[in-house]
Amino acid sequence: MAATTVLPRPKAYDDTFWKPISLWLTTTDHKLIGIMYMVTGILSFLIGGIFALIVRLQLAAPNLKVVDAETYNQLISAHGVTMIFFFVTIFLTGIANYMVPIMIGARDMAFPRVNLLGFWLVPVSIILYYSGFFTGGALNAGWTGYAPLTEKAYQSHSLGVDFWALSIIVWAISGIMASTNFLTTIVALRAPGMKLTRLPLFVWAQISTSILLLVVGAPLAAAMILLEFDRQLGTQFFTTAGRPVLYQHLFWFFGHPEVYIMILPGFGMISEVIPVFARKPIFGYMSMVAALFGIVFLSMTVWAHHMFTVGMNTYVEGFFMLMTMLIAVPTGIKFFNWMATAWWGSIDFTVPMKFAFGFLATFLIGGITGVYLASVPVDTQLHQSYYVVAHLHYVLFGGSVFTIFAGLYYWFPKITGRLLNRNLGEWNFWTLFIGFNGTFLIMHTLGLEGMPRRIATYSNEAWAATNLIITVSSFLIAFSVLLFIINIVSSWRGGEVAGDDPWHANTLEWATTSPPPPYNFERVPPVRSFMPLRDLRESGELEAETAAQPAPAH
Amino acid sequence: MRLITRSLVSLLGLLVAAISLSGCGIGGLSPIFPTPVSPNGQNIYDTYIGISVPALIIFIGVEAALLWIVVKYRRSRQPAGYVPPQTHGNTPLEIVWTIAPLVVVLAIALYSFVELQRDFQPVNNAAFTVVVSGHQFGWNYAYPQGFTVHQEGTLQGEVAPFVVPTNTLIKLQFQGTDVIHSWWVPAISGKTDAVPGYDNFSWLKIDRTGKWKGECAELCGVGHATMQIVVQAMSQSDYDQWVQEQLATKKGAAASPSS
Ligand code: HEM
Ligand SMILES: [Cu+2]
Ligand SMILES: [Cu+2]
Repeated sequence: MAATTVLPRPKAYDDTFWKPISLWLTTTDHKLIGIMYMVTGILSFLIGGIFALIVRLQLAAPNLKVVDAETYNQLISAHGVTMIFFFVTIFLTGIANYMVPIMIGARDMAFPRVNLLGFWLVPVSIILYYSGFFTGGALNAGWTGYAPLTEKAYQSHSLGVDFWALSIIVWAISGIMASTNFLTTIVALRAPGMKLTRLPLFVWAQISTSILLLVVGAPLAAAMILLEFDRQLGTQFFTTAGRPVLYQHLFWFFGHPEVYIMILPGFGMISEVIPVFARKPIFGYMSMVAALFGIVFLSMTVWAHHMFTVGMNTYVEGFFMLMTMLIAVPTGIKFFNWMATAWWGSIDFTVPMKFAFGFLATFLIGGITGVYLASVPVDTQLHQSYYVVAHLHYVLFGGSVFTIFAGLYYWFPKITGRLLNRNLGEWNFWTLFIGFNGTFLIMHTLGLEGMPRRIATYSNEAWAATNLIITVSSFLIAFSVLLFIINIVSSWRGGEVAGDDPWHANTLEWATTSPPPPYNFERVPPVRSFMPLRDLRESGELEAETAAQPAPAH
Repeated sequence: MRLITRSLVSLLGLLVAAISLSGCGIGGLSPIFPTPVSPNGQNIYDTYIGISVPALIIFIGVEAALLWIVVKYRRSRQPAGYVPPQTHGNTPLEIVWTIAPLVVVLAIALYSFVELQRDFQPVNNAAFTVVVSGHQFGWNYAYPQGFTVHQEGTLQGEVAPFVVPTNTLIKLQFQGTDVIHSWWVPAISGKTDAVPGYDNFSWLKIDRTGKWKGECAELCGVGHATMQIVVQAMSQSDYDQWVQEQLATKKGAAASPSS
C-alpha cells in the first residue's frame, strides 16, 4: 500500500514540449487550475513582501529618504492591494479549487470552463493593477483608495487609480464566478452518502466564504464603477461636491466581509489539521458550522466600524460597535472548540500542527485588539494609527498567512506526492513566529504613542529605536519566507515520497493517490460520517478501497 | 520539549528586550496612551484601561491553556499506546463558552456606549468655537476674534501652535477643503475627520499649561506626513495677551500689504 514512488503524471500531461504549455493554458482540471491559483498567490506574496521591505527600510530611522513620499504612497498601496487581492484571496481560492471537489468526492468543479475563465481573469486583474506604475504612478491612496483623494482633481497626473479600479472590477467578477462555482459544486456534486452534515469543515468554510464574496463582490465593483464615472465622465458621486463618505460605506460593505473571506477558509484548514494531529474528532461539529454562519451574517452588519471618526450619530455608532463585538462570540466558539479538540489529545507537533498552534496564539491577540478597536471611544484614538497596522497583521498574517502555511504543509504531499522537508519546515516556523511577533507586536505601542499609519517618514526621535527593531525583525520574516520557497522548490523535485495518506487523516482526499488522477477517484469510497477515511480504516475496509484505486506505476 | 524551551526562551528574550529598552527611556513602547490633558481624553484612557481588565485576563488565560495543551498533550508525553477519548462535543460546555463571551462583550459594549454618549455629543456650552480646516497640506484655525493661525506642513522644526486657554471648554468645528484629513493629538483626545461637504465636531478642555504634538491621521497625499499639529495651552491672562498680539499682527499685515 505504501507507495515508494510518486505517480507520474498521466501521459497526456507531457508528451511533447508544447503539450505542457498548451495544457496549462487550456486545462479545465480543477487541480491544475488550483495549482495555478496557488502559484499566482505565492508569487504575489513575494512581490508584496518586497514592497513591505522597502517600506520598512524607509521607516528604519527618522527622516530617511530611501524613496520619495509619492513612491512611498504607491508602495504601501501596492503592498496592501497585492497582499489582500492577489495573495491571500487568490491562494485560498486555489487551495479550495484543488481540495473541495476531492473532499466531497466529485470529479471536477460544476462549471470547469467558468473555472478556467475565472482563473485567467486573475492575471488580467494583476497586470491591470501593475500597469498603473507605467502611467506616471500607480494607486497612491492606500488599498482602501478613499475618495476624494482618488478623484481626478487630486490625481490628474496619472492613470494609476483608473488601472486600480479596472483591476478590482475584473477581480470582483472573477471572484463572483469562483463563488458561484464552489456553491454549485458543493450543492450538486457531492458523492453518495456525503450529506451536508458530513461535509468536512473546510468545505463548510468554503460555502460561507463563497456566500460572502457573492454578496459583497457586486457592491465593490459598483463603488469602482461609480469612481470611474466620476473620473472619466465627470459625475459627482464621491467628489468634494458629492458624498465622499458614501464611497467609504460602499467600500467597507465589501471590505469588512473581505477580511472574513480571507480568514474563514483558514478556519476551515485549522479544523482539518487539529483533529488529524491530535487524533481526536473535531469538538462540536455542529456548533462549528453554526458559528461560521453566525460570522457570515454578523460580518455584513459591521462595516461602519471603519468610520467611527467621520462623525455619525452616536446611536448608529453604538449599533456598529455592538454588532462588531458580537462577532467575538462565534469566533470564540470556534476557538474554544479547537482547544477542546486538542485537549486530552495525543498531539503530534508536525509542521502543519505547529503552524496551527502559531495561528491560535497570534490570532488571539488580533481578536482581542479587535475588541478595543470596536469600542467607539477607544477607536477614535487607535484608528489609522500603527495600532491598526499591528492589529490587521495579527489577523491577516498571524491569521490568514499562518493558516495558509498550515494548510500548505498539510496538503503539499497530496498535491505533489512528496512531503515538505520537516527540518526546513521547523526553521520556517520558528523564524516566522519570532520575526512576525518582533515586527508587529511593538507596532501596537507605536500607535498608542501617536504614530499614524501611512506616513512616509517621521521626525520624532523617540520612535527611532522601536522602528529599527521592527525593520530588523521584518528581515527575519523575509529570511523565513526564503526558507519556505527553498523548501517548496526542493521538496517538489526531490522530497520524501508521501504515499496516499501520510498523516492518517480523516477525509476523502487522502483516499486517492498522491497526486490524484485527473478524474480524482476510480471509485468513490463509501461515506458514513464526516470522517469517511477513518471509518474505513477502523472497519478494515481501507485495503480493499485502496486496491480499487489505480496502482502506482513502478 | 525542544519547542517549549525554545518558545520560552524567545518569549523571555522579547520581554527582557522590551523592559530594558523602556527602562532606557526609549519611546514607542508604552502600553498606554500619553497622559491625557483633557477630560474626553481622560475618559477614553479610562475606557481603555477598563477594557484591558477582561482583555488581559482572557489573553493570559487562553495563552496559558494553549501552552498547557502544547506541554501536556504532545504525543511524546503521553503513555505509549495512549488512545485519546473520542469525544464529539459537550453541549453544556459549548453553551458556557457561548454565553460567557457574550456577557463579556455586552458589558464592554455597554461600558463603551456610556462613554460614547458622554463625550461624543455636540457640546453647546462651549466658551467659544474654533473652526479647524484641513487642506493639502496644513491646518487653519479660525478664531472667533477674527484671526487665523496657519500650520503649514513641515517635518523640520515646529509649526505655529494652536493656542488655547486652560480650563476652558472649546468647541472644534472641522472642515475639509479638498480631501479628507483627520485631526489627532493623542494627549488631548481621539481623532476627528475633516471631510469636505459637511462639518464635524469635537471639543477640548485642557487642564494644564503645556504643548502637545499630533499629526494628520488620514492619508491625504504626498505631504501627509508633514501635516504636523502643535497645541499649546496657556493661562487665561497669557492667552488674552497672545490674542492681542495676533490681532495686532493681523492689523499690521493689513496696513502694509507689501510685507
Ligand atoms: C514581510 C512581511 C510584512 C511586513 C514587513 C509588512 C509591513 C507593513 C507595514 C509597515 C505597513 C504599514 C505601511 C504604512 O502604513 O505606512 C503595512 C500595511 C499593510 N499590510 Fe503589511 N507587512 C507584511 C506582510 C503583510 C501580509 C502578509 C499582509 C496580508 C496578508 C499584509 C497586509 C497589509 C495591509 C492590508 C496593509 C495596509 C496597507 C494600506 O495602508 O493601505 N502585510 N504592512
Ligand atoms: Cu471591519
Ligand atoms: Cu492630511
